Amino acid sequence: MTHHTSRRQMLWAMLGAWIVALTVGACSQAPAAPAPTTAPAAPTTAPAAPTTAPAAPQGAAIKIGCSLPLTGAFADTGVWVQRGYEQWAEDVNAAGGLLGRPVELTIYDDESKTENAVNLLNRVISVDQADLLCGGYPGTAAAAQMAVAEKNQKVYVSMGGHMASFSQGFTYVFGAPPLMGQWWYEGLYGWLASLPEAERPKKAAIFTINNPVGAAILEPMPEELSALNIEIVVNERYDVPLTDAAPLVTKAKGAEADIFFANGFFPDSVQIVKAMRALDYNPRLIAQGVGSIIPAWVQELGADGYYVFSGTAVHPSLPFEGISRLNDVASTKYNAPVAPIYFIFGYAWMQALQRGVEGAQTLDQTAIRDWLKANQISTVAGTFTFDERGLPPSYNYLTQVIDGKVELIWPPDVRTKDPIYPKPAWGQ
Amino acid sequence: MRRGALRSFGLPAPDALIGIGVVLALAAVPLAGPGTYLLGFLFTIFMYGALAGSWNIIGGYAGYLSFGHAAFFGLGAYTTALLLFYSGWSPFLTLPIAGALAALFAALVGYPCLRLRGPYFSLVTLILGLAMYSLTLNLPFTQGASGLFLPFLRVDIYTSHVIFYEIMLGLLTIVTAVLRQITRTKMGVGLTAIREDEDAAGTLGVNATRLKLQAFMLSAFLTGLVGGVYSYYKSYLDPSFVFATSISITIALMALFGGRLAWYGPLVGAVVLSIVNEMLTTQAPPQTARIVFGALLIIVIMFLPDGLISIIQRRLPAFVLRRAKQAAARDEIIGNR
Amino acid sequence: MLYELAQSLTSGLLIGGALAVLSVGFSMAWGITHVLNVAHCAFAVLAAYLGYWALNRWGIDPLLALPIMLPAFFLLGVAMHTLLIRATARRAHDLGLATMVLTFGLGVVMENGMLLAWTPDPRVLKTAYSALTLRVGPVIVQAPHLIAFGLAVITIGALYLFAERTFMGKAVRAVWQQPMGAALSGIDLDRVTTIAYGMAVATAAVGGVAMSLLYTFDPATHLSWLVYVFLVVILGGVGSMLGSALAGLIIGLIIGISSVFIPLAWNNLVLSGLLIVLLLLRPQGLLQR
Repeated sequence: MTHHTSRRQMLWAMLGAWIVALTVGACSQAPAAPAPTTAPAAPTTAPAAPTTAPAAPQGAAIKIGCSLPLTGAFADTGVWVQRGYEQWAEDVNAAGGLLGRPVELTIYDDESKTENAVNLLNRVISVDQADLLCGGYPGTAAAAQMAVAEKNQKVYVSMGGHMASFSQGFTYVFGAPPLMGQWWYEGLYGWLASLPEAERPKKAAIFTINNPVGAAILEPMPEELSALNIEIVVNERYDVPLTDAAPLVTKAKGAEADIFFANGFFPDSVQIVKAMRALDYNPRLIAQGVGSIIPAWVQELGADGYYVFSGTAVHPSLPFEGISRLNDVASTKYNAPVAPIYFIFGYAWMQALQRGVEGAQTLDQTAIRDWLKANQISTVAGTFTFDERGLPPSYNYLTQVIDGKVELIWPPDVRTKDPIYPKPAWGQ
Repeated sequence: MRRGALRSFGLPAPDALIGIGVVLALAAVPLAGPGTYLLGFLFTIFMYGALAGSWNIIGGYAGYLSFGHAAFFGLGAYTTALLLFYSGWSPFLTLPIAGALAALFAALVGYPCLRLRGPYFSLVTLILGLAMYSLTLNLPFTQGASGLFLPFLRVDIYTSHVIFYEIMLGLLTIVTAVLRQITRTKMGVGLTAIREDEDAAGTLGVNATRLKLQAFMLSAFLTGLVGGVYSYYKSYLDPSFVFATSISITIALMALFGGRLAWYGPLVGAVVLSIVNEMLTTQAPPQTARIVFGALLIIVIMFLPDGLISIIQRRLPAFVLRRAKQAAARDEIIGNR
Repeated sequence: MLYELAQSLTSGLLIGGALAVLSVGFSMAWGITHVLNVAHCAFAVLAAYLGYWALNRWGIDPLLALPIMLPAFFLLGVAMHTLLIRATARRAHDLGLATMVLTFGLGVVMENGMLLAWTPDPRVLKTAYSALTLRVGPVIVQAPHLIAFGLAVITIGALYLFAERTFMGKAVRAVWQQPMGAALSGIDLDRVTTIAYGMAVATAAVGGVAMSLLYTFDPATHLSWLVYVFLVVILGGVGSMLGSALAGLIIGLIIGISSVFIPLAWNNLVLSGLLIVLLLLRPQGLLQR
């Protein structure tokens, strides 16, 4: 008996030692994404920061906390939002802090699970006693976190994902800016309306991912398209993972649709576009939902993804203060050609929160909320005012992928390149 | 003379006494003002404990490994949520309906599916989970993919956490008591016989078909209850979470990790895995935390393939073990080999 | 309608082949070695990444990298069986259940290891033949689909011949059908199961490359691929190679047909329903006696 016990104890000891070694080893080799993340409390050198000779932040750090999907299905976007938050904290601390105090971020990994997102936000609020919250990810996790923030009367700035989450009478939530499915194609509708009717597409095929974001994108489409005299000939929803894109494409092709909407995420939209090319279906216009605004669309899909139209609420080529610096940071720090959308989003949300705190001159949540609802703010994503739901007036830009870059097409005052329409044949 | 002399005076067995003590202590936790995070975290642990326990009735005791319990969880969640959404009925009142619907569904699908043995049963339940997900996504009255927002409980935030905490603790207690009670009844003996050798069980006079169906329905009923409370707690639900295959797998994993052969095994699994995961999440970098978690599963199962409790059982003080063995002999406890 | 049906069926059938080769190893491992390898598709995704890097770093097509990957994955499987699974089997009451937890842990480790190594960004494999197509009448066949299907035919065919024609293969079959009798007739059970397991993991590499020709992938993709594997194995029967092949094709056909005749949103429900019915009619899989 004793013999067994000692052997087992040894095993446990070995196991313990191994885990410690593994943890320490991995900690030291993974500096990019530690959680909890602590931004440097004292200002470090920040050559490109836009302010001049600020006073060093003093006093106790302002604690800002949230959870993001840093592992699991949504990690690709979560990581970029995290980088946006961290960049903001670095810049604020370099510029004298928030209300003169340094800021300190604590970002937990919710493993892309709503369940964890809710618990971790509770942790941020009641254990870490965070002074401010940073928002989460669009869709289901954000909707669930919004409820937590509202119950705790904490200002919660995020993208939200769909109108429903802003229509619950929540008063502490803000989309600054939101990633609003319902507004996704505002720019596209505007641009199409500017075309002579004869040049507009006539028949639309719409395929939409069966999730909250897809449902939100689809909602206003029938009305908007009929106002443009575009007839919807196919309108279907699909589940993910999408096993086969060929049936979708043949349906659209069979119906002779000349405008094709792929309202989906990255994996399914890539499949659809590849199948369109393979089946030689070349409508005059291809519009895509939220999947094509991540860098992988251009970097991974390449020329097959060219000429696809999409929408966005933020963009690296917009003429707002701070954007060009974010582009520099993205290329020097992360080796990205331009600042990715979710990097800008993360940075802009924190700026919105910052404006609220600085405007109200306090960390009192209700005061911050009331100030934000009463004043105009400016961020790297533009200037915003908010209605009682926490939303700015509806807007969205139209983009098109041209020669490997996501160009701005509409509204005309921000246009970076003329649209290529109708779409050239595949492979050209 | 099947019960000890003390029992005939209504005094429960030592493990039950300890259990009652623990439950009372836990029920008093909110008095100490532990904060909403701790209450929420304990709520989650209780929930997974209750789910793993419910799963264990069919998956552990009977050896019919279900990969589709999310179907019952989601059905319960949507039942109370829709009744609140459309009729304004409080989920605390409609909870029995959630459980009953889940049990009814279990009866409908269980009758044909429980004829399947081993892996085929596991896989057909997995498909059931997927089918329920698809159905909820497409039915006209569920709000589909957009999900359902529910009104908050009309009390302050701390009180609402306390209420949900106590209710989930109550559900966990019920599930655990049911699990323990099963081991002391003919049902437990029958389920063990089915798990060890179903064909032989038939020859011993066990009505396997009926017993399996009863176990499946009971398991679904309890799972449905938990789902029914969960939707209200969360106040937002959408099909992709409550019908997720990952829920089915997680609760099976917790029961297997803890040990499916004893009544407290699933509970131990849920508690240990939840706490370890939370500690890793808050203390280690994200990917490292997950890698350590995975490595822990591997190592523990390599050395304790029958679950964590096999080490607890071996380590218990001698007098507890003696008492337990006597109790087992008396009450025909199933499972503990 | 006829054109749409023909096109959907062709494409569905070829995709079914890819699903079959992704699943056949999982089925073998479960049937022969009683290991429920939940990490099967993590191996497949690993192979997809290796193929992707072979192409993007050194310009080697994933198909040409496969002959190098196969023995490596075989050894990986042998090592996994020797180090992890046999140790568990010695103590386990029910190996299937224990290995489910064990390999779930392994899947988590692998997924996050890949996350550290290759970031969570999704990948698209762009080969020289990605855009090639073949016209058969009005129907267009995509080259990547055809190649994935070819990989499936070759792999499953080779496995079948191995099981039918070679001594080792017959031993594997014997262990599957009659473990007791096989042991009595002098077959070294440990050796045979280890080899079978190594082969199962090696086929995951083929499955991963085949899937990467058709789909985008990232480290978390393995869980959604695993659902396909479960569907194929349930229908084909655990341990049956030809069953997996047939089941993959049937699932591809069901998806192809239902996509044309009913709204896409109901596809998964139809697929689930049909699978449940088929399973109830043939409780041991399609080809089992």
